[in-house]
Amino acid sequence: MRIQSGKMQSRLTKWSVVAVAGAAICLLAVMPSPAQAPAYKAPKTKDGKADLNGIWQAMNEANWDIRPHGASQGPVFSLGAAYSTPAGLGVVEGGDIPYKPEAAAKQKANYADRLKLDPEVKCYMGGVPRSTYMPYPFQIVQGTDTMMFVYEYAGAVRVINMAAPTKAPADSWMGWSNGHWEGDSLVVDVTSLNDQTWFDRAGNWHSDQLHVIERYTRIGPDALQYEATIDDPKVFTRQWKMSMPLYRRMEKNAQLLEYKCVEFAEEVLYGHLRKQPLKGDSK
Amino acid sequence: MRRHVLSSLIALVAVVSLASTLAAQAQVAAKPAPAAKAWTMPRTPDGKPDLQGVYSNATTIPVARPANLGAKEFYTDEADKAASAAAGGRGGGRGGAARPAAAADPEGNGLAVHYDTSQFGLGGPTVKRAASLRTSIITGPEGRVPALTPDAAKRGAERRAFQQEHQWDSAQTRPLAERCVTWGFEGPPMMPVGYNSTLQIVQGQGFVSIVQEMIHDTRVIPTDGRPHAPAEIKQWMGDSRGHWEGDTLVVETVNYNPLVSIQGAMVSDVAKVTERFTRIDADTVQYQFTVDDPKTWVKPFSGEYNMVKIGGNVYEYACHEGNYGMANNLSGARATEKK
Amino acid sequence: MKTKLLVVLAGAGMLLAAVPVWAHHAFAAEFDEKKPLKLQGIVTKWELVNPHSWIHLDVKGPDGKITPWMVEGGSPNSLFRNGFTKESLPEGTEIIVEGYRAKDGADRAVGANLTYAKDGKRLFMGGSAPGAGGDGK
Repeated sequence: MRIQSGKMQSRLTKWSVVAVAGAAICLLAVMPSPAQAPAYKAPKTKDGKADLNGIWQAMNEANWDIRPHGASQGPVFSLGAAYSTPAGLGVVEGGDIPYKPEAAAKQKANYADRLKLDPEVKCYMGGVPRSTYMPYPFQIVQGTDTMMFVYEYAGAVRVINMAAPTKAPADSWMGWSNGHWEGDSLVVDVTSLNDQTWFDRAGNWHSDQLHVIERYTRIGPDALQYEATIDDPKVFTRQWKMSMPLYRRMEKNAQLLEYKCVEFAEEVLYGHLRKQPLKGDSK
Repeated sequence: MRRHVLSSLIALVAVVSLASTLAAQAQVAAKPAPAAKAWTMPRTPDGKPDLQGVYSNATTIPVARPANLGAKEFYTDEADKAASAAAGGRGGGRGGAARPAAAADPEGNGLAVHYDTSQFGLGGPTVKRAASLRTSIITGPEGRVPALTPDAAKRGAERRAFQQEHQWDSAQTRPLAERCVTWGFEGPPMMPVGYNSTLQIVQGQGFVSIVQEMIHDTRVIPTDGRPHAPAEIKQWMGDSRGHWEGDTLVVETVNYNPLVSIQGAMVSDVAKVTERFTRIDADTVQYQFTVDDPKTWVKPFSGEYNMVKIGGNVYEYACHEGNYGMANNLSGARATEKK
Repeated sequence: MKTKLLVVLAGAGMLLAAVPVWAHHAFAAEFDEKKPLKLQGIVTKWELVNPHSWIHLDVKGPDGKITPWMVEGGSPNSLFRNGFTKESLPEGTEIIVEGYRAKDGADRAVGANLTYAKDGKRLFMGGSAPGAGGDGK
């Protein structure tokens, strides 16, 4: 092939640069930017919605402490390393929870007395969002105008109303949930939560003004991204957010099993009222 | 030309379906047998019968048939039913809403030393119940729970003797309902409760979930043909597996916790309960059950009632969380012993 | 006393086998039928919980001293279905409680009958909230 004339060569070079630049732009468009997950196309249910059916569970340390934290001694010495806090990177976006000063003091007091005060010890329902990331699976049963979220821990259940939003007559442990779709994300507006639950075992707490907006988005064949925006003007100086993946329980024939847990909390709650108090603190 | 005929046919079918659905919605009363009327079964997107909704399974039908009615399974009509009630024929056992005549009840509140249930709308006239001419929930010529096996009678007697001796020892020796472990009506079989007799059904891919308000117990029933969970796992509501037979959801439950009672008898490790759910009109789901435990009853027994759609919501019944009564009862018992 | 307790609770023992829902707990153990009472007080809190709701009220004694009492009522769920909400018994409402005192001597009672001090009308009367239609249905 004859060597191109100078003019042709510079035009060729210019177009080559354009072509390479164009290819680079195309590549950048399809490659995920480091800040966001790939846009996974969720499979759809037969009525055309993203399919969230399944048994899901968090795999992180959020139930111990939702903030970034190091490993630390648990509240019961005789349980040793079997019930001490593992370190966690935290699930709170930005790291810290924006407590009002007096509210931050109350969290510290909760932590100091957590064995007595943590509702989990008493088998009280976990509320929202804690039930999502307790170390037990939960199941999403996806109907059309209603979804049921069933939690293994304490047999808690939430009915998510997908029709026109309704109002709660009173507060409850698991709140009142109105849901809608934003594209392939399920958005659940949770109100009327009582003030009895915690966010974790570290005493992070809220008032009865708590308002949670959750988002559930499929990010892969066996994972969901869970986000919860927390709003409680009595306790926090501003809104804040937590975020974590939830993983599908993939074993064959995975199912929720009973953990009513009332039977396991009776000794701690009523043992002091026994006719004959038990000796010692273990079996 | 063919396309016009086809689209006309489709339009005709649609009109007829709509008309019959509207006609069905106008009726609330459910007949004892599935009604033979033009009504289209609503279906979920995957083609299964749509059982979803919020229902009341409250009833005034007694579990066991009044003895004087013998083998009569149905009253002829409402007049016959009223006449029978007036004549004092009353059934027994759990499930009915009838309250016992109280011995000391100067206020006429139904029971001394108790809040007035009617003041809180519990079991009263505002509760919706499916119309029915059944004489008892238990079906068949006898209409009552069969006799216990000798072994079951012995188990029951031992248990009652233990309770008499230890009933105030601790929370763990109190009845399951008082402990807020189970109410005793969740089953399966699911039985009508004296109040808050409400349940909700939601169907998702491969599962049917049922939450019973009393006491927020939720069943998530796989319908994908998988085997039961290992028998080592005994549960308060057993382990359920469902499948469809035509338009009926059939659910089989085994592996009950040994402390579970059905109709007053603690069930054995071979107890099996079969339920059948069939929507029979826009507002009604027919519920049938069979209890089979050869170690407990000399023969199986079956029952049937209808649940009626009420819409609205199942409200949270956080029993354990609000159970001041347990501490109060034990505290009262300790105080009484000191006297 | 102990014998009497056992006799009264013989019913509860048998109830283990067949628990009628209206007697799911042994009220005879919790409250004393020999201690009927009548309280008049101002509602400070209405705990809409299960298995029983609790009305907290401040009762002023003849000496002017205020004693907080808690009074046991029924499950609120049917009230919700009939259109009542947590706003239906506001703080500050003056009510009269006829009931029975706790066996352990605490300032606790079961409320067999609840009425408004203002006009003697029963709380939650008529079974349905005025203008009921709440919860979207």
